[in-house]
Amino acid sequence: MTHKRRILISVAAALAIMPVAAAWADPAGGGADYQKLEQKYQLLQKQMATMAKQMSAMQKQQAKLKAAQAKTGATNTKAIDREVKRLYRRVMKDSQKISDLEPGNIQVLIAGDVNFQFQNVQGSHSTFYADSSPMIQVRIDKNIFVNTAFDFYTQAGAAGGSAADIGAANINYELNNNMTLGGGLITSPIGGIVGQYNPAPWNRWLVDGSLEDALLPGNELGVWTRGGLPAPDNMGYFTYFLFVSNGPQLSSTTPTPGYDNLAFGNWNPAAQNGKTVGGRFSYIPIPNIEVGYSFEWARPSADGSINTVNSLINAVDINTYYVNKKIDGLFRFRGGWTWDQVGQGNTSFPNSSPPPNTINTFGLGGMSNGGQLEVAYQPSLCGIKYIDKMMAAFRYDRIDGPASSNFSNGASHEQRYSIGLDYWLHSNAVLKFEYEFDNLSNNLHGDNAMFVQFAVGI
Amino acid sequence: MTFITYKMTKSIALTGAAVGILLMAGCAANKSTKPAAAAGKPAIWPLTLKDPAANESGAQIWAENCMRCHELRSPSQYTPAQWGVIIQYMRLKAGLTGVQAKKVLAFLQSASAH
Repeated sequence: MTHKRRILISVAAALAIMPVAAAWADPAGGGADYQKLEQKYQLLQKQMATMAKQMSAMQKQQAKLKAAQAKTGATNTKAIDREVKRLYRRVMKDSQKISDLEPGNIQVLIAGDVNFQFQNVQGSHSTFYADSSPMIQVRIDKNIFVNTAFDFYTQAGAAGGSAADIGAANINYELNNNMTLGGGLITSPIGGIVGQYNPAPWNRWLVDGSLEDALLPGNELGVWTRGGLPAPDNMGYFTYFLFVSNGPQLSSTTPTPGYDNLAFGNWNPAAQNGKTVGGRFSYIPIPNIEVGYSFEWARPSADGSINTVNSLINAVDINTYYVNKKIDGLFRFRGGWTWDQVGQGNTSFPNSSPPPNTINTFGLGGMSNGGQLEVAYQPSLCGIKYIDKMMAAFRYDRIDGPASSNFSNGASHEQRYSIGLDYWLHSNAVLKFEYEFDNLSNNLHGDNAMFVQFAVGI
Repeated sequence: MTFITYKMTKSIALTGAAVGILLMAGCAANKSTKPAAAAGKPAIWPLTLKDPAANESGAQIWAENCMRCHELRSPSQYTPAQWGVIIQYMRLKAGLTGVQAKKVLAFLQSASAH
């Protein structure tokens, strides 16, 4: 080791020890007034910056030395490597201690969204609607994160008034670079579109939800592990999300065959002991493209007695974007398809209407499937004022009920074509107009709809 | 019914295996030396995976990845402290690796402060 290197290492080591010693000698809140504490903190930050520069210089010198030794054939760099690694570990440890001294370690953020809309659906009264979904996000420390979300909304129909719901209540622990563990209530990752890309009105291109959403669980209440992993040979990334949660219920109180009689979100611990197992895996070969597959298996509960019935959901999804001057802006494409299967079985439950103690029995089972294709184009790079903030969107969505049953409206499948025009006032504030053409099978008349919405993310 | 039960068993077995592998990966990544981890190279036996983010700037990761799901938010919209909370949330939501999240956070906090 050269004399110069020894001096460099000694200086860096001394700098590494100094701020920590100072911090421990007079810990924060130990009677020192705020000004003194502030000065000490500023000093520590400066020392850390100096130390980081020294480390950087050392690493550069180390690289030069290695290159020189490689030329001359010398190979004795192990001692230097060890010393650099030791110093690096020390710097990391000390910088964490300094970070812990920083005031306001626990950080709280109020986020969420607010929107109001006007809708006119054929066969229903036109109505105004408003929704507010505040989120409270808390960063306890660099590893622990807590998220709570609410949903307050106006109710349509004779009931009127308003209602509230809880959308998320979860605690997450970042185990390492590639894994986070968590528990509580969280948006379900199944289908991708719902969980990740379609979470809030301000982030949707169209006002109305997709028909596919009816086949997907909205939330999961349980425990999970999730994260991202680099793919081998720089081939992009994988993401994963695996969970065990309370199982769904079967809509046995509405004997009219629905999509598949599954009612996600109606968790009733008294109704069953079984749990749901599910997850989503995705591959991101380049940042512009993500393709995902998800599954969820459950043994649903019912209000009444039921023979053992299993349900299985499979879903695939894709999300892409392309932004280029050649097309004067941004092009987006999203798609998804979901298959829901409920095993064959029978359920019965007491009839609440007189005469008492009568039993209703009906059959379950069958396959439902549905999906959507959604495209949007925004000439954001065209350079024309106002036009560059407009986005045109189109969606085709479809749902097919079990072969043996019809929906409550008598159709066996439904498909819609929706067109929309959005105006982005801000990156998180959008004014939207949508018209939806609804088609039902069996020559039934669909309910076309018109929506106008103003949505803001906060 | 039978095929679902078979699929269920298979799903649970696969899920268990995947969780096991990921846990091993996590432990291996934690045990690796700090310089290697900082360079974005979680050592997952028998593979050594290099996080491509190690060679990318925070600004690049921010622009390319956030755009996939929503319009880009300007760094000046939030304070550096608020970005700390937001990135912790978005790391979960978007499945970012720790290396990606740290780089994006460093960029946003730096751009926000200026």
